[in-house]
Amino acid sequence: MIDLKFDHVSKRYRIRQSDDSDTQNTLLRKLRALRGRKTDFWAVRDVDFEVRRGEALGIIGHNGAGKSTILKLLSNITTPTSGEITINGRLAALIEVGSGFHPELSGRENIYLNGSILGMTRREITKKLDGIIDFAGVREFIDTPVKRYSSGMYVRLGFSIAAHLDPDILLLDEVLAVGDAAFQAKCLDRIKELEKRGTTIVFISHDLGAVERLCDRVLLMKRGQVVKSGPAAEIVAAYQSDATLSSESVEVHKKGETNEIEIQTLSFCDDLGVSRPVFKTGEPLRARIAFNANETVKDAVFWLLLFTADGQIHCELTTELSGEQISVKPGSGVVEFRTKQLGLQPGIYFTSVHVKKRNARDVINYQYKSTMLRVDSDNLLQGNFYLPHSWSVTQSEDVDREYAGYENVVRS
Amino acid sequence: MSVATAKRRIKVIRPPSFSPLALLSSFGVLWHYRDLLYTLSVHRVKVRYKQSILGIMWAVLQPLSLMLIYTLVFSIIGNVPTGGTPYPIVAFSGLLIWSFFSTALTNSTNGLVSHSHLVTKVYFPREILPLTYVIAALFDFVIASFVLAGLMFYYKITTTLNILYVIPILAILTCFVASVSLIFSALQVRFRDVGVAMPLLLQLWMFATPVVYPLSAIPKRFLWFYTINPMVGVVDNFREVLLHGATPDFNTLAVSALISLFLVPASYIYFKHVEATLADVV
Repeated sequence: MIDLKFDHVSKRYRIRQSDDSDTQNTLLRKLRALRGRKTDFWAVRDVDFEVRRGEALGIIGHNGAGKSTILKLLSNITTPTSGEITINGRLAALIEVGSGFHPELSGRENIYLNGSILGMTRREITKKLDGIIDFAGVREFIDTPVKRYSSGMYVRLGFSIAAHLDPDILLLDEVLAVGDAAFQAKCLDRIKELEKRGTTIVFISHDLGAVERLCDRVLLMKRGQVVKSGPAAEIVAAYQSDATLSSESVEVHKKGETNEIEIQTLSFCDDLGVSRPVFKTGEPLRARIAFNANETVKDAVFWLLLFTADGQIHCELTTELSGEQISVKPGSGVVEFRTKQLGLQPGIYFTSVHVKKRNARDVINYQYKSTMLRVDSDNLLQGNFYLPHSWSVTQSEDVDREYAGYENVVRS
Repeated sequence: MSVATAKRRIKVIRPPSFSPLALLSSFGVLWHYRDLLYTLSVHRVKVRYKQSILGIMWAVLQPLSLMLIYTLVFSIIGNVPTGGTPYPIVAFSGLLIWSFFSTALTNSTNGLVSHSHLVTKVYFPREILPLTYVIAALFDFVIASFVLAGLMFYYKITTTLNILYVIPILAILTCFVASVSLIFSALQVRFRDVGVAMPLLLQLWMFATPVVYPLSAIPKRFLWFYTINPMVGVVDNFREVLLHGATPDFNTLAVSALISLFLVPASYIYFKHVEATLADVV
């Protein structure tokens, strides 16, 4: 039974070229732009896939690969330029919950409002009202205007409404990134429950770990096309190893390089120096940067930056702060950064490595997104990062039996 | 439960095309979402008067104060030929029906643009957004009608059975308002000029309609041209039927009815055409 079918679907966006000739008259320029040259941009091109009933399909790819366009097409927010999409059953999208809330209305009124925007009938909402309120945990405040809600309550209520849609097909965006960890776990449970009931799921995310956990099959997208599809673990691995999938051009960053030192590879390895693709939070980690120097460079400084999937710098490792000078002689060498306990939370991190002379403006050499670091965990802890910690307990009655400090490491 | 639901709706999304069948299925989808139309319309009424002291009284105060202003102005400037009917009630009946038109149009024109956060995230038939403003304005109209009834009682105006003609007149008006709202809200997505020009347009349109003066004030030789405006037939007949107990002038009413009859499908087709790429443009 096929629940979802993309039949050679393409979506074209037309981008208007702004007129370069500096016409003084803005009105004239605007009128010209209306019929001016247009550039075509194919956000999705000839995409063809099927999802069976009860299957959980993941779609991954870099920013701009066409994932969000697929989502918009599926939820009928925008229409395809060519091709045909067949949807068998009730489809609900769990994207950016709470965007339909009205601040002046009470929680209860907003449940009705948002529920009907998502396609529920009033009778259906009335039936599910208690479930929605309890799931969100806002019973005390249900008749308070939502503008008085905390942001957490707001998000929980939004998700709760969407989670009670009972769709045949569920579309998931990065929604799991809402609320605190306890609520996230609750959401994941709810999704698993729907999955068990036979709900077909399409999950679009940067969080490869979550994709792997939730999905049976994964599509890998690149520049609007599906380049690979197959079992989740296989495709996620392929995505990680294929750094060339990066939508950004490395060439851009080559400007201004002097290349006395060339960075060759970046690899991550464990305590024993064995290179591995996946690390767990709390494990020891070494990052090795292999380089080749063409001439002597006095006082070189190396950097390793880790980025989150959305391009934000997550953390920075550098040889700069210690103040020691690294004098590089011609020939090859290795810089190694070490940490005893990896503080990163599970996820995929992009890297960039660069080397500079201390206080110099120009970069000697630069390597961007050549390697990815993948972090996993068996025991999920809340928060933005893992803080290595030990603990002890003392009680006045049994001072003698004081526990020795126990080191608390996440890995089990 | 979801799996147990025996009947699944099969939905096919294709590139936008325009056939009578597609139009019919659009109506089907709209019917499916009728609860949203209801909930959102109630919401419009509630939200508009939240945190205001006078609340729903505003629906009455607006045409009432306009009536006072026009009564004052015309009592200073000079007489308007009302054929014996007191001027205040002539003005109020016109302003009442005009307020419905202008409130609905002003609010619905911006209806799509102001909900861009929704339109780019969730699908529902987009015509619901402008239409809820029309329904909310209709609600205000009903509230303010009680004042008209009060005024009629005060001025001892006797009604005849012809008052029943109010129903088809209002139906024609509602169709006209709805279709103009659809067109303007869709235009506003691409050309924000529409919203800016709206107050001016409505002002001009009001003076081109017998709102604060009766139709009899218009010289005979201009009438053929004047009555092309579909609002003329509606406003004038509403007043005639109500205040004079007359049968409506079927000529002017027919003009309004025919234009509305043409505009309803035309505006819907145009709206659906814009809707297809709405999320990409808004």
